[in-house]
Amino acid sequence: MNLKVREESGARIIALNGRLELTTGKELKEKIKVFCDSGTTRIHLNMEQVEFINSSGLGALISAMKEVRLVKGRLTLSNLAPYVREIFDITQLAHIFEIHETEQAAFASSESVTVSQR
Amino acid sequence: MSFNRTFKYLSNPESGEQMLDDLNDLLDIREISPQQKYSFLLAISEAFTNAIIHGNQCNPEKTVKLTVIVNENELSADIEDEGQGGLKNIDNRQPSQPFDEGGRGIDLIEHYATAVCYSESPAGGLKVSIKILRQKGVLK
Repeated sequence: MNLKVREESGARIIALNGRLELTTGKELKEKIKVFCDSGTTRIHLNMEQVEFINSSGLGALISAMKEVRLVKGRLTLSNLAPYVREIFDITQLAHIFEIHETEQAAFASSESVTVSQR
Repeated sequence: MSFNRTFKYLSNPESGEQMLDDLNDLLDIREISPQQKYSFLLAISEAFTNAIIHGNQCNPEKTVKLTVIVNENELSADIEDEGQGGLKNIDNRQPSQPFDEGGRGIDLIEHYATAVCYSESPAGGLKVSIKILRQKGVLK
């Protein structure tokens, strides 16, 4: 997996490319932890180029979300391919992630997830 | 068109990527629809990760054996580890909670596969057998 990171108005935007599974998920988790530790509270993942995701990849995203919430930040996702979106729906994780159609929509929205962590 | 291939992988997390590379190449044939290929890869990937992490517990001396059979009726795969008590773990698994980072693999296998069978080898390793029936009209 290739991660391309850019910064816009204090937010980190990460474009994911390739497979999101056990080893690449670990890489993503570490990257997001570094951002949170350095004070970034707004992180967006553009998943347009994610060609494969499994439960380990989902686990990495949940871990990343927890990390961002620890710093009272906001994590958004966008541009999910239909087969990726389907996995979020099957596992019912579409309810706990803030998912947008496009990157622009994610930044236009000021909504935050209202589901509380158990 | 039919074939049968067997692979063996070391029990480390990086083997997952190698396995997906191998199967991507093997299944890159026009007779298999992209949706079926994705479902098959996903189901195998979940069983494979469980075999390495839970079955073999990342022990480098243990391997995971993967057998893939493709014929005009179905895509099937057996994923076998060298662990102990895997069947009991399958039977005793708990539903995952929304914020759990793991525990969704078996649910995904059972969603995407037409049929799944769990069995144990005499030595105690878990074998997960996955079948996906091929859609009518896919074969040319």
